[in-house]
Amino acid sequence: MIELRFHEELYDGFAIDEAVKTYAAYATAELSRDGGAYVVKVTAKPEATSEGIDERVLSAELANYALGLTIEKARAAGGAA
Amino acid sequence: MSDMSFHLGEGSVRIEFDEGLYPKDAIYGAAYVFIDRCWVHLDRAGDRRIQVTLKAKKAGADTQAYAGEFQNELLGQAWRLRIVEENKKLVETITARALGGAAGPPGLDELLAMDIGEETAFEDPLGIAMSWEEKYKKKGKAEAGGGSDGASGGEKAS
Repeated sequence: MIELRFHEELYDGFAIDEAVKTYAAYATAELSRDGGAYVVKVTAKPEATSEGIDERVLSAELANYALGLTIEKARAAGGAA
Repeated sequence: MSDMSFHLGEGSVRIEFDEGLYPKDAIYGAAYVFIDRCWVHLDRAGDRRIQVTLKAKKAGADTQAYAGEFQNELLGQAWRLRIVEENKKLVETITARALGGAAGPPGLDELLAMDIGEETAFEDPLGIAMSWEEKYKKKGKAEAGGGSDGASGGEKAS
């Protein structure tokens, strides 16, 4: 199990939810909030590990996906150029 | 402490800088550029300090070069945002005018909706509605209060 922490001011909660749903076929995730951060505990599914998918890589990709969605949402809301 | 610092790790680099130095949108913009090459993580490193961690997806990548590139990108994004902000009003004005022109002349409904009242309907600051006789009549005659032959239109413009 790998624990990911996303600061609430820097990450969008809906983006994290969406990222977790996207990777649901490969990993199970437990979501919670702690001290101004969204906490996601990621555990790779046995099917994924049997295919040679590394749990750390999977978690890092999930985090990247969450960041990408956060940025896209911020841009859509009229934030960045 | 310097405004920006970076720490090299094993296959990763951690960059820290003051939040007031770069707007959040610039940080997002720079992070987005690296998202295909690195695993990017944003976090707070104390009061008003942002920490960006870049971990290369490919083994043996030059993370120090990534750190420099990220800082350059950050600066570029911040500058771009400033230009956008400075030109925002101009772009809005031009767009509004272009859209207004494309809409064509006002229709009957728009004309009816216009606020034309007793006072505003006959405003004529340029004197366009004035008659030729009124506009070019001789001053001496006007002052004399004659006007008997002024209305005939037989005056000559001097």
